[in-house]
Amino acid sequence: MIILDSLSFLVVAVISGAISGTIFGLVNLALVEPYLDRAIGIEVQNAVSAGEEVNPIEHVNYRFWQKGGEVVAGTILGMSFGALLGIVFVFGRKLIHGSNIKKALVLSGVIWLVIFMIPALKYPANPPTVGDPDTINYRQYLFISFILISGFTALGLSIIYHKINRKSSFKLLAVSVIYTGIIVGAFIAIPPNPDKITAPMDLVNGFRIMSMLTMTIFWVVLGITFGLIWDKLKPHEPTQFKTI
Amino acid sequence: MSFRNQIQISETKVPKAAIGLLIFVLCFGLFIVGYDQGQLFSLVQGEQAYSDLWVHEFAHDMRHAAGFPCH
Repeated sequence: MIILDSLSFLVVAVISGAISGTIFGLVNLALVEPYLDRAIGIEVQNAVSAGEEVNPIEHVNYRFWQKGGEVVAGTILGMSFGALLGIVFVFGRKLIHGSNIKKALVLSGVIWLVIFMIPALKYPANPPTVGDPDTINYRQYLFISFILISGFTALGLSIIYHKINRKSSFKLLAVSVIYTGIIVGAFIAIPPNPDKITAPMDLVNGFRIMSMLTMTIFWVVLGITFGLIWDKLKPHEPTQFKTI
Repeated sequence: MSFRNQIQISETKVPKAAIGLLIFVLCFGLFIVGYDQGQLFSLVQGEQAYSDLWVHEFAHDMRHAAGFPCH
């Protein structure tokens, strides 16, 4: 029996996540920030129209601080998702043929689909000016519920899929149909986002497309980085002792 | 002459402590970036943290970009 090297395994997951997350934050600065700046500009205009005083220099400094925060938060979020890919990879890598980069890419693609893309169809990303502060807890509850339903359904079905010792295309079709059925049920049963969109639709749609694009780039970069670092550190190989 | 074929099946044991640590990293990171509404800083700052929302504001742009609910 081979015992996975814990330290190398942790390093692969966390470092690949940190690298991909930092790249994610920097890509967001270029692609998503113009939409965020425009949306925040509308919020500031609304505040000024409502009689609030806004100091332009303070506002610029504050936005600069938030943009730095975006990169740091990208690194943290990347480590988080790197940890998730690590857990999925260590249990799922033997089920996929090919190189470790291919395995990591396939598994990161599955995670992207299950915990990002499908929940995003129900609850797409919104720029500032769309969310009502009074509904934040409710919206967080709806969003996490949908992710958990999608994630745990996929996890449960993948376990059932591999427990059934029969090679047939029917098995794959059956679990796909069950997953789709449960997700369609969740789409119908879980309430929609309660907030009305008052921002210009070209801003909202442009923001959603860019958000989806950069999230997709993140998961591709994470899969490649994870596979490359795994190949470099080889946590699955027994420790080699050198004779001096 | 007879030949005997041997098949070696290697099993990899996954360290539970490493998995536990990764689950912690996953949950803690997601909470900081996507969900904190003052809870983390309230441990040192008290009630004031819920109106300052430092972590929320710092992760604000990433929260929107990654699709988390915000505001």
